[in-house]
Amino acid sequence: MASLGDMLFLLVAFAVLMVLVGKFAWGPVTKMMGERSDKINNDLDYAENARTEAQALAEKRQAELKNSQADAVKIVSTAKQNGEKQRQEIVDAAHAEVATLKSNAQQDIAQQKADALNSAKDDVAELSLAIATKIIGKELNADDQQALIDGYIKGLGDVNGTH
Amino acid sequence: MNESYPYVKLFGLTFNLTNDLAILITATLTFLLVFWLSRKPQLRPSGKQNILEWVIDFTNGIVKQQMPGPEGNRFGLLAFVLFLFIFINNQVGLFLQVDVGGKTWFRSPTADPVITMTLAMLVLVLSHYFGVVFKGFKGYLNGFISPVPFLLPINIIEEFTNFVTLSMRLYGNIFAGEVLVLLIRQFAFSGLGGPTSFIAGFVLEMVWQGFSVFIGSIQAYIFVTLAMVYTSHKVVSE
Repeated sequence: MASLGDMLFLLVAFAVLMVLVGKFAWGPVTKMMGERSDKINNDLDYAENARTEAQALAEKRQAELKNSQADAVKIVSTAKQNGEKQRQEIVDAAHAEVATLKSNAQQDIAQQKADALNSAKDDVAELSLAIATKIIGKELNADDQQALIDGYIKGLGDVNGTH
Repeated sequence: MNESYPYVKLFGLTFNLTNDLAILITATLTFLLVFWLSRKPQLRPSGKQNILEWVIDFTNGIVKQQMPGPEGNRFGLLAFVLFLFIFINNQVGLFLQVDVGGKTWFRSPTADPVITMTLAMLVLVLSHYFGVVFKGFKGYLNGFISPVPFLLPINIIEEFTNFVTLSMRLYGNIFAGEVLVLLIRQFAFSGLGGPTSFIAGFVLEMVWQGFSVFIGSIQAYIFVTLAMVYTSHKVVSE
């Protein structure tokens, strides 16, 4: 009754079925399922990386923005300082020039005054000599006269309290 | 289904043609179904591929529940084919039973104890074989004297009770279901109450068939689950 043939038949049929299902259905579909889970894993990793990268970039940008603000402040203040310095220099130079000009002018004036005084002295001496010659009709030695006149004029100046 | 089957003797072996025919048909059906469902698998699954992947996830879930480690990967295909094969085996006889010339030619193969015992034997032999593969021969023998050596007789008896309960549970459920299908059919055509019995029988038959689909599914699930429980006892080292 109990049929050994049926057992063998079932075992063979089951083995063949398992091989065929494994080859034609289980294999391709589980492979595809594995690929899918791999892809999902990769995508998640990729998204995580992209997020981290974006965050790093944002932080970097923020830091650079801060840096550039500080730079701008520094540049402006440097420019201000430079301008101030330059202005000071220009003003100082102008002051110096004015002072130089003024002193030059004073020197010129003093020189001219001295020159004029000297030439006036000479003129007065010659005039006095000419007058004296004419008056006393006697030609005096010019150099002796010069010394005499200088002494006289000096005396005049002392009386006047100037010179 | 009248317990009279066509037998054929070949190479000194007896073949019950009813069983063999039904096995051949269910195996072919199983393969065609799975083959059809698995055409052109895609990364983004659609339609029939979803059905197949759901079944694969389901049977993989059964395996992983018992063997969460890497051992479980070896049994995914076995659990999948076993589940689908037994499931279809359980269902075919509900809708098609052929009696010709006083002999039964077609009914569920799992309504025959020889078939269920062969399936149980297949699973248990595989579990012993993989027990040796995964734990070594010494580890496999140690399994019989664990947790304490005096349990050796009980462990040996357990191997037989596992075999008997695994096969008889499936056989009993499916056989009883098909006997009742036949009885209700006889009641419907008995002409006891005229058309009343026919209508009552028709409704009863539908209800019972629906319930048997449920039983067949549950039994396929239980068979695969227990097969994996027994295998995990042999394979997983505590």
